[in-house]
Amino acid sequence: MPANALLNTLSATPLFAVGLTLAAFLLGNLLFKRFRKPTWLPAILIASLLLAATLAVIGLSYDTYRQDAGWLTILLGPATVALGMPLYQQLPHIRALWQPLTICLPIAATLAACYALLIAWVLGSSPLILASIAAKSVTAPIAIGITEQIGGSVALLLGALLITGVATAAFVGLAARFLKIEDERIIGFALGLNGHAIGTVRAFEISPTAGAFASLGMSLTGIFTALILPLAWRLIGVDG
Amino acid sequence: MPILIGFLWLIGYWLIGEVFVHFTGLPVSSGVVGMLLLSVTLTIRGRVPNSIAAAAQPLIALLAMLIMPGVVGVFFILDELAGQWPAILFALILGTLLSVTTTLWLLKRLMGKHYAR
Repeated sequence: MPANALLNTLSATPLFAVGLTLAAFLLGNLLFKRFRKPTWLPAILIASLLLAATLAVIGLSYDTYRQDAGWLTILLGPATVALGMPLYQQLPHIRALWQPLTICLPIAATLAACYALLIAWVLGSSPLILASIAAKSVTAPIAIGITEQIGGSVALLLGALLITGVATAAFVGLAARFLKIEDERIIGFALGLNGHAIGTVRAFEISPTAGAFASLGMSLTGIFTALILPLAWRLIGVDG
Repeated sequence: MPILIGFLWLIGYWLIGEVFVHFTGLPVSSGVVGMLLLSVTLTIRGRVPNSIAAAAQPLIALLAMLIMPGVVGVFFILDELAGQWPAILFALILGTLLSVTTTLWLLKRLMGKHYAR
């Protein structure tokens, strides 16, 4: 009982949830560096595991936590707007290769969503699951907006983003070797387009050029999917 | 103070995005509209003002932390989706392998003469 009363006192203020989030984030980053930055275990996964375990141990319900952490997550709005700055900084790259990029982007970004949707649909996944994984290759702040619009579960989406990002970082090296591709611009673009922020972080580890093309792929995929997917979903929903 | 001025700009663009979505009824998020408006503004001005950079850089660096409260939610829906996980995992992993390969192959073909060995 005293422990319960203590938890009630602490969780009466949103600062408790905010503090837990900051602590888990910092600790996650620290451990990530200690583990020598494994590609299969990104910092955000370590931090989330720590946070989930903490919530479970102290018995704070996820709904309460999420509501209080809203004091932090409200910043996602301005943070999404802030992505306009790196997008502007990528413009010289876009101009230099605008032809191949403008053809590649819509096809590749559409397929990034369609392959997974098709496989999940064939395996009999529910419409809720399909709506939740559709934005799997889109950077989180934009993907959350898309998923809310098409009626998916944001929690499942974020899990899907994590898995997709880690899988992209792991597969790009293999696929590039298989296709005999060494051009860092192509590898970077593929990392950002498919693996959003996690892929982009991986690209910056390869080289600054790969990183720039990854941010470019990430931004363009985010914009393209944000503009097309909700419309496409509405059309398919009307037909089906 | 520049950081506050920059932050106010970002909030302003986000709010313009809200108004845009409200009036057009388009299914896009206000953040995306604000992001596009910001990059158009920067293109017209031809440079990034210090205030915008001061607010945007730390926010972008913190993106991972801002989505954490949502990511944690996935551990609390594990039970709800119990029987569905194998299909979800299979779709995500195989789908990602296929799309990574397609992107690499397609862009290599399209780049043609631009391709660097």
